[in-house]
Amino acid sequence: MQKAINKVLVANRGVPAVRVMHTCIDRKIQTTAVYSTPDRLAHHVAVADSAVHIGEAPPGESYLNMDRIINAALKSKADAVHPGWGFLAENDEFARRVQAAGLTWIGPEPDVIRDMGDKIKAKEIVEKVNVPTIPGISKVDTVDDITRWLREKDVAYPIIIKASAGGGGKGMVKVEAEDELVRALAQVRSEAQKSFGNNKVLVEKYIERGRHIEVQVVADKFGNVVHLYERECTLQRRNQKIIEEAPSPSLSEELRQEICGMAVALMKQIGYSTAGTVEFLFDSATQKYYFLEVNTRLQVEHGITELITGLDIVGIMLDVAMGKKLPFTQHDIRPNRWAMEARLNAEDPRTFSPSFGRISRLHEPHGPGVRISSGVYEGADIPSYYDSLIMLVMSAGADRADAIRVMDRSLSRNLRVEGVKTLAPLLLSIIRHPAFIAGEFSTRFIEENMRDLVATFVEVDHEDEALKVARFVAEISALGPQTWM
Amino acid sequence: MTHNIFVRPGMSPREITKAVRELPGVCLTSTGMRDAGQSDYKNRLRHHDLAALAPFYNEMGLFSAECHGGARWHVGIMSRRESPFAELRSLREKMPNVLLQTLVREASLWGYRPYPRNVIEYVVSAVDIDVWRCFSFLNDIRNMRVVADVIMRRGKLFAPTLSFTQATWASDEYYLSLVREIVALCGGIEEIILVIKDMAGVGSPKRIANLVDSIKSAYPELVVQYHRHTTDGLALPALLAAARSGAQIVDVEEDSLTRFYGQPPVLSVQAYLEESGIPVHLNRAVAEEAVQKVREWISQYEWAESPFKGFDHGVLAHRMPGGAFPSSFEQAQQGGFLHLMPAILTVMSFYNQLIHYFDVTPGSQITWTTCSGMVNKYAKEKGEVGVRHLIALLKGFIEKGQNFSALEEAEQKELLRLFANAPGDFKNLLLGRYGKLPMGWPAEWVYRSAFGNEWGQALQSREAASPLDLLEDEDLAAARSVLGAEIGRHPSEEEFILYLMHPKDTVEYVEFKERFGEAPYVLPTKVWREGLKKPGDKVEFEIEGKPFCIELVSIGGEHEGLIHVVMRVNNKTRVYTVRTPRVKKTETRMAKGEKDVPSPINGTVWRLGNPKRGQLKVGDIVSKGEEIANIEAMKMETTVVAPYDAQISEIVFKLNDIVQEGQILFILERSKD
Repeated sequence: MQKAINKVLVANRGVPAVRVMHTCIDRKIQTTAVYSTPDRLAHHVAVADSAVHIGEAPPGESYLNMDRIINAALKSKADAVHPGWGFLAENDEFARRVQAAGLTWIGPEPDVIRDMGDKIKAKEIVEKVNVPTIPGISKVDTVDDITRWLREKDVAYPIIIKASAGGGGKGMVKVEAEDELVRALAQVRSEAQKSFGNNKVLVEKYIERGRHIEVQVVADKFGNVVHLYERECTLQRRNQKIIEEAPSPSLSEELRQEICGMAVALMKQIGYSTAGTVEFLFDSATQKYYFLEVNTRLQVEHGITELITGLDIVGIMLDVAMGKKLPFTQHDIRPNRWAMEARLNAEDPRTFSPSFGRISRLHEPHGPGVRISSGVYEGADIPSYYDSLIMLVMSAGADRADAIRVMDRSLSRNLRVEGVKTLAPLLLSIIRHPAFIAGEFSTRFIEENMRDLVATFVEVDHEDEALKVARFVAEISALGPQTWM
Repeated sequence: MTHNIFVRPGMSPREITKAVRELPGVCLTSTGMRDAGQSDYKNRLRHHDLAALAPFYNEMGLFSAECHGGARWHVGIMSRRESPFAELRSLREKMPNVLLQTLVREASLWGYRPYPRNVIEYVVSAVDIDVWRCFSFLNDIRNMRVVADVIMRRGKLFAPTLSFTQATWASDEYYLSLVREIVALCGGIEEIILVIKDMAGVGSPKRIANLVDSIKSAYPELVVQYHRHTTDGLALPALLAAARSGAQIVDVEEDSLTRFYGQPPVLSVQAYLEESGIPVHLNRAVAEEAVQKVREWISQYEWAESPFKGFDHGVLAHRMPGGAFPSSFEQAQQGGFLHLMPAILTVMSFYNQLIHYFDVTPGSQITWTTCSGMVNKYAKEKGEVGVRHLIALLKGFIEKGQNFSALEEAEQKELLRLFANAPGDFKNLLLGRYGKLPMGWPAEWVYRSAFGNEWGQALQSREAASPLDLLEDEDLAAARSVLGAEIGRHPSEEEFILYLMHPKDTVEYVEFKERFGEAPYVLPTKVWREGLKKPGDKVEFEIEGKPFCIELVSIGGEHEGLIHVVMRVNNKTRVYTVRTPRVKKTETRMAKGEKDVPSPINGTVWRLGNPKRGQLKVGDIVSKGEEIANIEAMKMETTVVAPYDAQISEIVFKLNDIVQEGQILFILERSKD
């Protein structure tokens, strides 16, 4: 049964909120933004057609507050809710309550979210369809449970402790030796409780120098499941992806088809609908891959898949939510570009410590082959309460070298952010690193190469230079001759 | 009068000296771009203005342009925020015909302490200069060896320099012995020019004539250059005397730049020497244009001029060099003791009879700090009477032949306290750390006075060898990484060299450069110093030929220590928030020592202690590796652990405070065991 969507409340902020709104604007669908007090003047509020204040800064009082968000949807006469990514995007209770309020939930069915969100349960389901999984245990109460498992299954360090309900790199700690166990377990439990409201954890063998490959899948409510090929998301720091690309430079064509097929089979098995991602860990040394998790939401890096396929994944999510069939079959999907994404976080590129404050100058990259997905504007404040992502810089070209060239231009000559620190210098030195250019890297690339990566990477730009001169003129005009002169 | 370009960069030292010898009469070094500005304007003349002279210099037929070295390097990074390397690149481009000349100290180069051999080699090899005027304030020729080796190997012109003063002990024989040492060091006279550096401007015409005569009689083919300041008012006749005795190069500056302590005026020198029958190699018409050019900008530097105006024939007694004059007066002004200057100059005239060396960097600084310190101490303790007493004491002692044992006991006691508070550099001088003194070590009582009870050991540790042979090589890789850590990135080669000379000031300079970029080079002096005044005031400049325009819209009033300045930068309106020195400082204590536990990141301290022990308080014992706090930022937790077994002596935050990276969280007392 088809139903119309006339107004979408986007239950998010920043980059994801703006991204979803752009497609809504394309479709002439109205949008509602929600915002917390420090986000009064945020970019996503300005982009939306209407906005509702939902509470104070702490996420629990605003962006994680289901009642207020659903009330906001009803109050602003929205008839659907898109959760973006992060916050409530993988919260089955929220999905259920949205539906119970008579609103359309733009996402997978709540039960699917619940099953896949519980990593332990997901692993059980996955094992049934013969997708390989990493050795691990799911019932962990004490440190002794872990040490016993290590002993009985003869598993060696390192291992990784993960929040069972986690995702997006949060609530994960790698443990190298036994003496770190107590603190690591306590930390994951605490972060899990804080971020996901559930302190269950699981433990797995940590695959060294693994590569992170995921398959984008879209499905309708009629059992049609189509994959949009894979993305490589190996480059991470602190388990958070910072550079992604599509296709993966590390897969043979045969393996690519196998993994993508595996993802489709799995999604069919669980009765998935709308957009979702199956994540794998790929050990390039042994050419083995292991199932990691299913992300039951739109992902940050979906844009590069859009760039190589020409599709609009948010648009597909809207169509599926309206009850439409997928307008294409697997055979129609023919990627013909190489695309790359760099996550511009407001962080110190050396220490990764968050940098908040006001963006005093912003110059977004332009030119052929560039796509920008921004959550900020010049003058925007970056509050300390939320994720540090401020902009996604994407590039596309005929092949990988092309995409890297466009990314280099975007980061070095076009992009300027002042007032807060960003990862831009680090991102630039990564894409210029010979190992990255050769496509040879693992999830440990950044920790292993950090020393090389923090070299100087400033490129001269005359406007930058003129603005430095102007700052000097401003200071002297205000303060007069200086004693050091 | 000839005025063609007779020497140019790329010529070998032998070709250059030959070209000078073959000229009839004399040729000129212009100090307009270095010493002139140092002597009367405290080195504040900016490259932006001096570079305007370069096109004229390029056509003037100069022997060389002294445009580098001395204190221009240090004041450049400290006060003008200019790089000596950038300046050289710019001048090379603007005056390709001209030999660029530096003034370098033999062991302390462009800094103030003797450097190890490897530092000297490293730095000297990296600087693009044609003529290396190298002096020693002790005339310790041994110390010139490393610079001479590197320069002559590089095929550049080495110009060994005699520090000159007029005193009974500074005889022709003394100077000749130095020239012999220099000639031996340089393997003859063919590839060098010998410079007589009269840095205070004290050489009487007769004295200079005799000196040049005796050198030229001993070495008729040696090219001799006379460098002189105008302080005593007798520069022109002294230059004529030098030229008549065979000096073939003399130093001059633009007439419009000459004040009182710099070099003599170029046009006057040319006219006076030619009238006296000595041809001067100079394109006078172009020199006149250069003199005129200076008038366009020199009035912007009145603030930098020495407050002590007019010639000073008293320089013969106190011997303060031209280069030190304005900066000494500046220090006296800033220190609030300008009124003591006459007394300090008098004390200097006695001091230089007690300890013999040459008042030029770093010696002039040692003299200045020692004497000004002494006078200030007397003034502070006993007022004007005390200062008069000090002068009488020294005067009497010197007039009676410096016979220490003949003094009354009270006077002896006083002299034995005279140098008790002398600066460390004075003590290093006595210990031979700079080299040997030209007339031998000072009297024993000076050591007793400077070192007190330890004077015996001091004498024991006094070194007769050259500092070049005493100092161990510096670990350059380590120094480079220290600088890298200070500025947070790999330093460039030029930054590293600046750092080797002036560590602290270079770090500040690099910070300035990162913040304000090309401002020191592109802004006209008025705007550089005072900014834009009225709405609508504009400054225009170019970067790589691209025009930029900054227009002032308004300057707001001060509010809570902040001023907002609105400007149009290439027509785009921008608001700048400027912190005034009165800005309210919310004091954040940053971790420094081992006792301070810093926050690892920026974030919120959401837990004090750990779940097992609960909240910690002052006095609690914590063990190494134990979590003592937890910081959250953007939903990520970072633990703070005790770095060693300790007791908490202070907790420097409140729960849920937002803290900065590096801010102190705890102060610990290490457990004893």
